[in-house]
Amino acid sequence: MTTATMDWVLIVDDEAMVRENLKAYLEDEGLRVAAFEAVTPALDWLQQGGSCRVCIMDMRLPDMDGNTAIRILHHRYPLMAFLIHTGSSSYSLPEDLRAMGLDDGCIYHKPLTDMGPLAAEVRVLAGEGRP
Amino acid sequence: MPVFRLQPLWLGPLAWSALLILTALAGDLALADPSGSVQESAVTPDFGMMVRYVFWALIAVTGIAVAALLWSWLLGRRVAQRTRQLRRELNERRQVELALRESEARFRDVTEAASDWIWEMDDNLRFTYLSERFYALTGIAPQHVLGRARWELATGDSAAEREKWRRHRELLEQHLPFRDFAYQTGIGDRHGEGRYLKVSGKPVYDGQGQFRGYRGTGTDITEQIKAETALQESELRLRQIIDLVPHMIFAKDRYGHFLLANRATAEAFGLTVAELVNRSHCITYGADGEAERMLSDDLEVIESGASKFIAEETFTDYTGQAQTMQTTKIPFTTPGLGETAVLGVSINITAQKRAKEEVARMRLYLKNIIDSMPSVLIGVDPWGYITVLNQQAEQVSGLSWETAQGRFFGDVFPQLEGQFEQVRQAIRLGQPIKTPRMTLEVESELHYADVMVYPLMADGASGAVIRLDDVTSRVRIESMMVQTEKMLSVGGLAAGMAHEINNPLGAILQGSQNIQRRIAQDMPQNRAVAAAIGVDLERLNRYLEQRGVQHFLDGIREAGVRAAKIVADMLSFSRRSESHFGLVDLEEMLETVLRLAASDYDLKKKYDFKRIQINRDYDPALRLAYCDKTEIEQVILNLLKNAAQAMTDEGTPDPTIILRTRREPDALLIEVIDNGPGMDEKTLKRIFEPFFTTKDVGAGTGLGLSVSYFIVTEQHHGRLSVSSKPGQGARFSIRLPLRRGALS
Repeated sequence: MTTATMDWVLIVDDEAMVRENLKAYLEDEGLRVAAFEAVTPALDWLQQGGSCRVCIMDMRLPDMDGNTAIRILHHRYPLMAFLIHTGSSSYSLPEDLRAMGLDDGCIYHKPLTDMGPLAAEVRVLAGEGRP
Repeated sequence: MPVFRLQPLWLGPLAWSALLILTALAGDLALADPSGSVQESAVTPDFGMMVRYVFWALIAVTGIAVAALLWSWLLGRRVAQRTRQLRRELNERRQVELALRESEARFRDVTEAASDWIWEMDDNLRFTYLSERFYALTGIAPQHVLGRARWELATGDSAAEREKWRRHRELLEQHLPFRDFAYQTGIGDRHGEGRYLKVSGKPVYDGQGQFRGYRGTGTDITEQIKAETALQESELRLRQIIDLVPHMIFAKDRYGHFLLANRATAEAFGLTVAELVNRSHCITYGADGEAERMLSDDLEVIESGASKFIAEETFTDYTGQAQTMQTTKIPFTTPGLGETAVLGVSINITAQKRAKEEVARMRLYLKNIIDSMPSVLIGVDPWGYITVLNQQAEQVSGLSWETAQGRFFGDVFPQLEGQFEQVRQAIRLGQPIKTPRMTLEVESELHYADVMVYPLMADGASGAVIRLDDVTSRVRIESMMVQTEKMLSVGGLAAGMAHEINNPLGAILQGSQNIQRRIAQDMPQNRAVAAAIGVDLERLNRYLEQRGVQHFLDGIREAGVRAAKIVADMLSFSRRSESHFGLVDLEEMLETVLRLAASDYDLKKKYDFKRIQINRDYDPALRLAYCDKTEIEQVILNLLKNAAQAMTDEGTPDPTIILRTRREPDALLIEVIDNGPGMDEKTLKRIFEPFFTTKDVGAGTGLGLSVSYFIVTEQHHGRLSVSSKPGQGARFSIRLPLRRGALS
């Protein structure tokens, strides 16, 4: 793994257009993005050598819910930062996720009328991760 | 008889005459007539002689005649004297006889006419004589009495009677006089009734002093006894009556001594009537003042001679219990009484007074009850004239019960005038009649009232009670509850579909953003790709501009934003936790909102917020509010935007918004008041309904006010109300509870 792999941003979202639009925006921002429609293929990618600092996680996913996925990822990759991108208005952050360092500022509600703030946050988190 | 008595008087002259004749005869004189009349007789043979004789005879006769005349004259005088004397005597005798006869007649009349008779009894004490009056007076035939002793006539067998007779008999046997011995006979009169007789008698003695019996008078006293008995009975009856009267009847002298008292009076003193009346001193059981007051009343009546009515006075009876009396005192004079006394009748009104007080208390109690009712209660008679008003009704009408009494209810309560038909119908049918949700205008505000007319049927006095309940707040709460329910269902629906809608909205919004970014000329990636494939980005952009593609893209974005806003608003209609509540500086928050409004994208584009005059009217006593700051900011901003929008649309000449805060007893008040076009009643009714909008299609989501309403009422347990009239601006009032407990 080179330091370049550290720039990767992982997106897990089952809504194809949302996923692709986010990917396109972040790529335009100069970030490398790996996007998956479910948790399992994302975990597979990571297991096969994929690496990233920031993960944008949808909550309602076909194979498992976003909170569980964050717990698994945090367990395996403790340095990974998470942003939550959800279409659910009633989402609130579970306590154990808060303990991992997440807060309400990490939550982005769909639809995003402007992806700029999210991208800026991703850049900050990705930069922080840089050695 | 006087003839015989006069005879000696005539003897004198006769004797004188006889002597003269004898003398004459002795001298050959002729005899004179003893009767006094001289008769001459011619006795003559010798004439001379005869003349001489005649001469002498004549002389003798003359002498005799003269003597006789003299004698006769003397005699006549004596006779006349005697006659006069006799006549006088006769007169006197006659007068005596007349007097005697008169006396006899008088005595007879007296005995016959008087109620007395004369009786006599012999030495054996048995009746021997009864004057005629006896029968006339008693109606008892004398034969029933004569020959019997008095005690044989008596009736009555009581010990007292026997004793009376024993003593009487003893008296008679001792031959003593007696007076006024009264007894009742057993012998019946002509009607068979026994009579009461009263007798007096004296013993009679003969010349030798021998007791010959009794003589006396008797009188029938039956009528008198009857009258006395009747009087006694009448007195007794009167006594019974006055004793039966439960009121105190009494007579007192100026010193407070009882001259007369009935049983009720005596009992009040714990005495018998006799004990009370014979008391030589005043008795009182109450405080000193009480007796003095009564005595001064007595004296006032005695001295003024006018009666006095004492409506209420205290009298303490012998048990020490104070009684309330109503007394009338009148001056009282009786023939046997030297001085004026006072006659009084005292009625014990303690119970009556207590009952009256109880009635008054009950009346007050009932009045309190009807006054404590929140309803307006108006009692009317069958003709609609007011009989009763409760306090609420007094407040509403501005008239007191006393003033309104007897006036037609429609005049006092013009808003209820139309209820007269219901009043009549309720009384006729004997059933309450209800008019729900009647609309009234109170101080130019629309109010709702439930009006009930209850018929009154008490003891023939009919009428009705009109009950008016102002249900405005209930109607408002009800309609708000309906709104809330609607909103909650909207909220539930939104929560359910938000995820499904937000994803495609995300695709739209993010997609359009990416498109706009990727056609931009200043992006290095765009320029690199364009150069690689030989596209002039500048010309492409001109093309997109000219064909309106850019504009359509903007449209997509705006539509997406609006749709996202609708979903977000709809999502507001769900109950949230209090987690965002905190103490907020109210003024600071309002200033923030004003800044937000001034820089609001929509407002800046369509309405010039700076043109609007903002008047701040903040209550200096109000600093902090406990609320969800973001939510309340959203509400106030929404109200400001609405006001600005309405005033700009209408072209209000001097658009002004007053932002006012006030501390109320249990709430803090935030008001947004504009001088815009206002609203009609129909709009007001629906203003908080979700999706209700007066704005042009696309100009608003129709959720702004309903979201505000929801935030205030559901999340903050406050109130959001509006009052407005067409052309008179609008006033939105937010009331947030002051106590934190009210928020839970």
